[in-house]
Amino acid sequence: MANFSPQSTQRDSEQKKPLPSSETSGNTLPDWLNPEPWLNLEFTATDVQRALHADSPNEKTLATLLSPAAEEFLEPMAQRAQAITRRHFGRTVQLYTPLYLSNYCNGGCAYCGLAADRKATRTVLDPEHLRHEMEAIKKMHLEELVLLTGERMPEADISYLRNCIAIAAEYIHNVNIEVFPMSESEYRQLANVGCTGVTLYQETYDPVVYEKMHRWGAKRDYFQRLEAPDRALRGGLRTIGIGALLGLANPRHDMLCVYRHAKYLLKNYWQSGVSISFPRIRPQLGGFQPEFPVDEKMLAQYTFALRICLPEVPLVLSTREPQRVRDGMAGLGISKMSVASKTTVGGYSDDSDESTEQFEISDDRNIPEFCAMLKSKGLEPIFKNWDATYREPAAYAKN
Amino acid sequence: MNEDILKIGEQELSSRLFLGTGKFSSTQAMIEAVKASGTELVTVALRRFNRDQAEDDLYGPLSELKNVRLMPNTSGAMNAKEAINAALLGRELSKSPFVKLEIHPNPHHLLPDAIETYEAAIELVKQDFLVLPYIPADPVLAKRLEDIGCAAVMPLGAAIGTGKGLSTAEMIKIIVRDANIPVVVDAGLRSPSEAACAMEMGCNAVLVNSAIAAAENPSAMGAAFKTGVDAGRMAYTAGLMPTSEVAVASSPLTSFLSSNG
Repeated sequence: MANFSPQSTQRDSEQKKPLPSSETSGNTLPDWLNPEPWLNLEFTATDVQRALHADSPNEKTLATLLSPAAEEFLEPMAQRAQAITRRHFGRTVQLYTPLYLSNYCNGGCAYCGLAADRKATRTVLDPEHLRHEMEAIKKMHLEELVLLTGERMPEADISYLRNCIAIAAEYIHNVNIEVFPMSESEYRQLANVGCTGVTLYQETYDPVVYEKMHRWGAKRDYFQRLEAPDRALRGGLRTIGIGALLGLANPRHDMLCVYRHAKYLLKNYWQSGVSISFPRIRPQLGGFQPEFPVDEKMLAQYTFALRICLPEVPLVLSTREPQRVRDGMAGLGISKMSVASKTTVGGYSDDSDESTEQFEISDDRNIPEFCAMLKSKGLEPIFKNWDATYREPAAYAKN
Repeated sequence: MNEDILKIGEQELSSRLFLGTGKFSSTQAMIEAVKASGTELVTVALRRFNRDQAEDDLYGPLSELKNVRLMPNTSGAMNAKEAINAALLGRELSKSPFVKLEIHPNPHHLLPDAIETYEAAIELVKQDFLVLPYIPADPVLAKRLEDIGCAAVMPLGAAIGTGKGLSTAEMIKIIVRDANIPVVVDAGLRSPSEAACAMEMGCNAVLVNSAIAAAENPSAMGAAFKTGVDAGRMAYTAGLMPTSEVAVASSPLTSFLSSNG
């Protein structure tokens, strides 16, 4: 796809990029993203052995390790994933926590408990309430935060986000967002008030399933979302978190696309940090049943496979996962984990109504309990791994 | 016997092993490894200074160790401006004269940016830091940094955390040969034998982190690196025998030329 790379497009992010040409027959994905060459290949145990010991893992390695043939090799995959994680990230796990600012949403995501047609108590944090939340989070010593909203709404728009980021940045070092896609200039406004990074999952990279899952609204535009990480990084954000919501589409397709998307971002935005998350569909309001359920073994296999093929990329596991899975996966590829999460608006500073939550938390341990588990596994929790000095260099220089 | 002292600026060190302090399974494990290694100079990332939570803070426990000096580093900085600010804040907090200047704009491979590093070094030297820049193994860059007043240069053996050893050995030999300031191999070392090798080449010190932090027994590996560094340094000062492509004949073929016919 000639018109997709940032070098060949105008820097005006508002400009709509052309849809991929018909040369990608049978699939509307651009060539750089289309995983078709690696799907439906047969791999043998010998292929898996070779992939496990690859000197320079590549896409074929990944396709092999994601394949059914590799299901029998979970243990050696785990060992290799652990060794690579230990070498690159040390015996540490970085901690962060999400903070839900608003659950107002006009979106039509079929799988989401907070879609516009779901009955949920809608609420949004005002600045004073946000300060209470930040004080509660600061007391837990967390220094990395992700602020969340639904789709773009009058209750939670860019100026609201700008205000919230500025407040959060008064309290802690590393403030990130997981909100709706926006323009490059909007991302820049948020970077300028102290936002460090963006998390934005494509949900599924399968365009057919994508269209089915996103029943109405701005989110129906697949490419508008796909290109948002480009706009965020061009807008001055330092890190981008990507991922696919496991369960929506063929997970091998989506994992190959996540890998391709990560490689694309790494090559085109060489100064940016790219991380990958593994959100799995969990029970929630609305009772959505995934068509391609991903069990724990599959989750582990995909995580190990990506760790082996992307040794330097942080891999993230959230509190969606049950305690047993989180304990087991810590350090086995996973280098970053959320902790003490509340998915309700205002959940840190008071007892809020559970009907406002986006999904159920499966691991509700508090921070000391979670850290004790990590330490028992010989892993050190890291609270602060970035400094606000880097946020606004000019501020310190003035002193 | 004269003690073998390493001078960096006016600072004197008797250990030639410097330690990085990240990646350990616990602060306790890190402190034990520091002690076992006999190091007198450790580097701490400003981003791991955490005044709000003692348990997450690497600086506090290290500052209590006797005979160990702290060298804040600018890891996390993506350009000269950020590195300068981090260095200033690090000095304010630690009162250390040293700064390990590291600027790696790519957060994945963490390789140093020569251009930004050079720019930042000029400013930090002006601000009276003892500047130890982490650099690619580039002999010209090393001399340029020496010319502007850096206290030492720290070329990489291989990328951080890879354990690929002295992949840049030929370039490091040239840097050592030409340098008037200490040369410290930083990053890439996996084993004490590689540290010994760097010291035998004439490097003045080595800086190790991952190899110790990721070892099965970090404290024992710290002690092993101490031994490796000491052995390499002793071998260097003792003078290694020259290498030769061919065996040296015990009865030289040209002996007839000096005989009186």
